[in-house]
Amino acid sequence: MLNVSLIFKWLLAFIVVFIILFPLYWIFTSSITPPGELFSSPIDYLPDHPTLSSYLYLIQHVGLMEKVGSTLIVVGSSVIISTMICILAAYGFARYQSKGLTVALMFILFSMLIPAVVTARPLYDFMRKINLFDTYPGLIILYTSSIIPFSVLILKNFLSDIPASIEEAAEIDGASLIQRLVYIVIPLMRPAIATVVIINFITCLNNFFIPLFYANNILVLSTAIVQLPLKGSLHIVQWDLVSAMGWVIIFPIIIFILIFEKQIMSGIMAGSVKN
Amino acid sequence: MQTKKKFNLLWVAWILILPALLIRGFTTVYPIFETFRISLYDIRLFKGIIEFVGFQNYVTVFKDPKVIASVKFTVIFVLSSMALHIVLGIILALILNMNFKGRKFLRTIVLIPWAMPMVVVGIAARWAFDNDYGLVNDFIRWFVPNFKLSWLIYTNSSRLAVIAMDLWKDIPFFAILVLAGLQFIPEEIYEAARVDGAGPIQSFFKITLPLITKNVLILSIFFTMWRLVSFDIVYSMTSGGPGEDTALIAYRITTEAFTNLNLGYGATLAVVLFLVMVLFSSITLLWVKKIDY
Repeated sequence: MLNVSLIFKWLLAFIVVFIILFPLYWIFTSSITPPGELFSSPIDYLPDHPTLSSYLYLIQHVGLMEKVGSTLIVVGSSVIISTMICILAAYGFARYQSKGLTVALMFILFSMLIPAVVTARPLYDFMRKINLFDTYPGLIILYTSSIIPFSVLILKNFLSDIPASIEEAAEIDGASLIQRLVYIVIPLMRPAIATVVIINFITCLNNFFIPLFYANNILVLSTAIVQLPLKGSLHIVQWDLVSAMGWVIIFPIIIFILIFEKQIMSGIMAGSVKN
Repeated sequence: MQTKKKFNLLWVAWILILPALLIRGFTTVYPIFETFRISLYDIRLFKGIIEFVGFQNYVTVFKDPKVIASVKFTVIFVLSSMALHIVLGIILALILNMNFKGRKFLRTIVLIPWAMPMVVVGIAARWAFDNDYGLVNDFIRWFVPNFKLSWLIYTNSSRLAVIAMDLWKDIPFFAILVLAGLQFIPEEIYEAARVDGAGPIQSFFKITLPLITKNVLILSIFFTMWRLVSFDIVYSMTSGGPGEDTALIAYRITTEAFTNLNLGYGATLAVVLFLVMVLFSSITLLWVKKIDY
């Protein structure tokens, strides 16, 4: 009886894992199969002549490293800047009270519901007008903006649960606001900050809308994968390159998840429960 | 003296929140007003037309067969995807909540689709649903030899494929959020039910389901809104095809605004979509608030 239920559990788990991992495995084998052998049916899931030529091609002819670089610049700066901005904002919202502040908080949270597609065109024209279109600062501002509501929500809720008495004691001892933030508040908030940084990093990496519409020459990984060179006059998508590029994006994400599973889970759940 | 100090303090708070407020304002408030404004104009950059037309666009929009096709698929997409999200999401949440040795591993794996960019999923799906060399048909041929279907060429099968990929990517996330609710249900309730002779199916419908209903409804509201503005999936997977049959409304809007350069028209669609979302979210949120257990 006990064994039957245990087998049943493992079977269910296996089905779920298969549905998720098998397509990813297929993308991986495609990426190491020589392009000529890709057109085979049934699919050969263990390539006879594994090769890294697709990856090499991406590095040599598509500028993969450059794209990884620009992705890191945009995503890294946005995560760092938004985290700093949101720590300040969270402190303002958690430790001070007024009607105006409540309205401001509501605005930041509800602005999450304004879809990017609704504001896209005017924002595009505006970015062009102020010369931020297709620039790193422009992209960083837009990425930063996109993760502010979530970060403020998580950081503010976390800070609200910590009593202000330690800070008040420090204030009496003559610590300035900046000293209190750096030496007391930020260390206390470390778990929440870690969660926010990790989740925002993933959110930014996945962002496709912003780099697609607000940049032309700056290609991050998510937009680069739809702009890989096409083959011949029929503009055929080269699946070997696409799968290699896909795996370049997926692989770090998998590693990232294996390392930070705990923080990610708690971040997702904290966001939902407080909503 | 006391009031002055308070005033000073508030001033500090505003300085602290100012950067966050400014960036959010700059990227949302100004453009949304601008969208409303240009929706009253006929702006076609290709022809050099810029003309104030009042609410004319709002009349034209609802007669446009392309828009009607988009709205139709958007409704199909949202309804079927959400129905399956709820059913399969709850099932997956129960699986994730099972008490066995593989639990932690399972929960880790389930995070992967959530953390992947939709474009990668979409562009891989373009290939996976290929008739000859795709993963999907290859898998089906394990059971049904000689199975043939060019999924993305026909209306129904391409719609099915888009919905399937949406489910693959997002059900895990939905399930994790349902799981957050499941974990609050104390184990003792189930034990009490077991003592009273309730089977697992009975205790699911009598205990689990009622306790997570509100949580699931709130989640569904947010997931519905995200589906209403889905863009990446059809951009990367079908480009709205065949014809306009998988052109979700968000895809239609960007096509008008950025490809056809029909700005006023695109803005009108955007305003309509925005109003639908505001209406939907406020009605449903109020309704959910009223439900009490």
